[in-house]
Amino acid sequence: MTTRERLSRSDEDIAIVAVAQTPSHRHYDDSEASMLMDLTNQLLAESGLERSAVDFTIAGSCDYLSGMPFAFVSNVDGFGAWPPVYESHLEMDGAWALFEAWVRLSVGDIDIALVAGSGKSSPGNPREIFPLQTDPYTAAPLGLDPASVAGLQARALLDAGLATERDFAEVVSRSRRDALSNPNAQVKKDVSADALLAEPYYASPLRKHDLPPISDGAAAVLIARGKRARELAKKPVWIRAIDHRIDSHHLGLRDLTDSPSARLAAKGVGLHDGPIDVAELCVRYSPEEIVLRRALELAPGTAVNPSGGPLCGHPVMATGLVRVIEVARRIREGRARRGVAHAASGPALQQNLLCVLEGDA
Amino acid sequence: MAERAAVVGIGQTKYARRRADVSLEGLVREAALRALEDAELGWKDIDAIVIGKAPDALEGVMMPELSLCDALGAVGKPIHRVHTAGSVGASTAISAATLVESGRYRTVLTLGYEKQSEGNATWALGGGRSGSQGAGGSFAPWIRNYIQRSGAPEHIGWKVAVKDRLNACRNPYAHLHMPDITIEKVKESPLLWDPLHFLESCPSSDGAAAMVLSDATGAKRAPRPPAWVIAHAKRTEFSQFPGRDTVKPVAGVDCARALYQKAGIRDPRRQIDVAELYVPFSWYEPMWLEGHLICGEGQGWKMTDAGETEMTGAFPVNPSGGVLSSNPIGASGMIRCLEAASQVRGTAGEHQIDGAKVALGHAYGGAAQYFAMWIVASEPAPTYR
Amino acid sequence: MSALPPVHYRLEYPYTRTTGPIVGAFLTALRDGKLLGIRCRGRVLCPPLEYDPETSETLAPDFVEVGPTGTILSWTWIAEPSRKHPFAEPFAFALIRPDGADGAICHALKASGPDALRTGGRVRAQYREERRGAITDLYFAPEAEAEDRYVPPGKGAVEMTEHLISLDYTEPLSPHRERYAKGLLDGKFIGQKSPASGKVYLPSKGYDPIERVRMSERDDVVVSDRGTVVAYTVITPVQYYGQKETEPYIRASILLDGADQPLGQQDIRSIGVADFRSGMRVRAVWKPKAERSIADVDNRWGGTGEVIERWEPTGEPDLPFEKIMEHNW
Repeated sequence: MTTRERLSRSDEDIAIVAVAQTPSHRHYDDSEASMLMDLTNQLLAESGLERSAVDFTIAGSCDYLSGMPFAFVSNVDGFGAWPPVYESHLEMDGAWALFEAWVRLSVGDIDIALVAGSGKSSPGNPREIFPLQTDPYTAAPLGLDPASVAGLQARALLDAGLATERDFAEVVSRSRRDALSNPNAQVKKDVSADALLAEPYYASPLRKHDLPPISDGAAAVLIARGKRARELAKKPVWIRAIDHRIDSHHLGLRDLTDSPSARLAAKGVGLHDGPIDVAELCVRYSPEEIVLRRALELAPGTAVNPSGGPLCGHPVMATGLVRVIEVARRIREGRARRGVAHAASGPALQQNLLCVLEGDA
Repeated sequence: MAERAAVVGIGQTKYARRRADVSLEGLVREAALRALEDAELGWKDIDAIVIGKAPDALEGVMMPELSLCDALGAVGKPIHRVHTAGSVGASTAISAATLVESGRYRTVLTLGYEKQSEGNATWALGGGRSGSQGAGGSFAPWIRNYIQRSGAPEHIGWKVAVKDRLNACRNPYAHLHMPDITIEKVKESPLLWDPLHFLESCPSSDGAAAMVLSDATGAKRAPRPPAWVIAHAKRTEFSQFPGRDTVKPVAGVDCARALYQKAGIRDPRRQIDVAELYVPFSWYEPMWLEGHLICGEGQGWKMTDAGETEMTGAFPVNPSGGVLSSNPIGASGMIRCLEAASQVRGTAGEHQIDGAKVALGHAYGGAAQYFAMWIVASEPAPTYR
Repeated sequence: MSALPPVHYRLEYPYTRTTGPIVGAFLTALRDGKLLGIRCRGRVLCPPLEYDPETSETLAPDFVEVGPTGTILSWTWIAEPSRKHPFAEPFAFALIRPDGADGAICHALKASGPDALRTGGRVRAQYREERRGAITDLYFAPEAEAEDRYVPPGKGAVEMTEHLISLDYTEPLSPHRERYAKGLLDGKFIGQKSPASGKVYLPSKGYDPIERVRMSERDDVVVSDRGTVVAYTVITPVQYYGQKETEPYIRASILLDGADQPLGQQDIRSIGVADFRSGMRVRAVWKPKAERSIADVDNRWGGTGEVIERWEPTGEPDLPFEKIMEHNW
């Protein structure tokens, strides 16, 4: 496989110039489009732009969450499409929409893109919906849900001596505590690992708290190229690289204790070309943090999910983009200089996306 | 632009009401393998994969890039999935082209598919509810509006239906092969949604269409002439708002303008040699000829009536048989883009338009609100008539 | 009036998947009480794949029987099974390597309890009494608890497998949609007038998308129940799973006086096609209050539920085409 040299002139670098997210709601009483409208208005206000100044708009969402084929069409109301706009849509987390927007701006003929991700998990039953992501002949009819697969992954980690149940509980305990300082987090509390370990199993060795909450929410960012980025933001957050890879969907052929696609993506973004001050990872199930720390070869002291992560708020289809926003915010606020945001899709971290962000020196 | 993209391989499945001989993986592999073979490349030569299809509920498989990645040689690679309703096939081709144009990926496999016989398209198009009016039911009032505005005679739609089905007889991949179709037969077929008769409406098909896109280096080494992607454009508007023109949507006009400007085309009617337009219901041929500025308002039906859109005419439209002859929804837009590429590569076989050097591939979707189009040419910097 | 109940809808379809020769052979074998793997460059894969997972090259249909016993490579005890799981009582999902295969199959393990299971434990394939040529024909049990029942083979090859996918969604009406629905029960059409543009939306989605402005209760306006037909389709119902319609009917859009976009999805059964025209003036005839129902009114589609008895012509002169051609929805 060939890898292309990245464009190296700073004029061509692409930065996040504005971010916006809704809190992670247990239930939001209005539409995805209305959330997206609020975020779009926020981004435009923050950067002082008219809607027409945005060259390209792209969103991520999933029809099955709302149980309506073509549900994504209504979301266009949120960004505005009159006069007509150049826009596209992926049936994936907004983080992949960010990837496409970043690639699109790299072509060099347009300068500003609006990227969003949104989803309401509250109307349906995610446990019954997500098995439809699995092999339609051999797995979906078994109702094989992500929590069950996470249970398999967790046990594999225990069997290999790579983690203990306490390690899982520590991830949850730390995340919940960190979430106390995140106004957007949904589940936040001071709870000890011991207290968590006393809970009964749900998908052994996982307990209910090892799973993400059910959430409604949306996130959006504005990105811009080179000169334009500097005009629009005092502190642009540069996207150094985005790479995403996928593993086999055949669970029986995977080593669930590792994530080869995350490793490949790490190489692709040059993850360790510099220090990692902060990592926001899509840890939906606590064992995923263990797998990712190993696969990404994060130094033991690396700050992981200071926002609390998806265990504390999981607006599906926005969760990955929220990770990008959490890293970008910390860089903008001077609390970090270089960080990585991670998004995942599919059972047991099947598909992984990494985005390396950096502030100015 | 950092890089120029070119189509270096194309592959399609035979389209049919039901591809009972293959699984989902088998269906997409059939198209992908043909595209790789056409490009004389292997799976390992692909740097990234972009797939597209219509709503997941058509097959009941959610986010199919996850369960199809192995079948498409995507393990260890980037793969993403585009979803823009009926226009998705073309949006997907455009997404793949931009991966190459960005300079970040050299060779990209792109594929659109639908195995809608597993579910029911009318059910899915109606949101899974009872009482679905189908796509035709939504478009029928707009078509009647066009007829009233333009004064078009009633036979125009029937003419398009006959033309596209006879063209399809020259396309071995097409779903419908109706060599005996006539105006009378179309007129006598059941009225589905006034004014659309059954034979003026697209079939429901299973199928997949794939292309391999590469950069200039890849185009140079390609065994068959490449189709250069000269320009592409997408535009979207709301499905419903006060004062919306549903007959000649502004998004469609804007999209065409942006496309022609990027391509340096000033006179599309003369400078484009052949067009593959997304015509799922007969009347959309004259409507898109006007809606995409190929001719003036009220002139589209006259072009059709005068035979200009026949294969032998001055502006051939849908020599492949079009969506009226094959409609796996997720693939249909890609088939338009692929057929346009095939024309300028000179590989369209019996439905080749001789000397085609510049071709238009087009798709639309939703409530005629999503538009995605591209221009391909036999030269990277074509000189137009 | 207190809050309206949440809206419930079900997305359901009985999918029929053609299997192709490889999956088909596997499911045929399951129906006949056997586990099949496929040879792939010196390895045996179960379930069989159509291609080599490493090279993506197409595999020859070189099958070999594997199992019926196997080894647990990982497992998880499901304490509260979902409605879609293979068992209603607690069970395990497991990665099981059938004897003779490389790699594992992920499937359900029926066991007396989690204590009967461990990684490395031995299991045996079990087959349901009624088999459909689907993955659900199979399950596993720990060797010590397994049965060795005779499975009579079926006839012919399995070339299609069915999966009834049924998903339930429940969502409360958003505040503006609830006010709209309550208005319908009261015999009124409540739209919203944009504070930015003055356009009246009915039913409103709670915002003005053109101006990108959210609207609130103070933007609610009552719209006349008299208006003009601006578009319609005569629908001949296609029979599909879940379809309740059988006879042709008209689906019309009506621009109510005072609204700026038409009210869609009005099903007309009391006026014949020959007497129906765009431009025609009509008025809503409401059902008696006690008979009105808004059960079908939801956040996404709107509609008018079952509150209107019928639309009837008012007898006023038709509006000319030019006056309505821009409301062609």
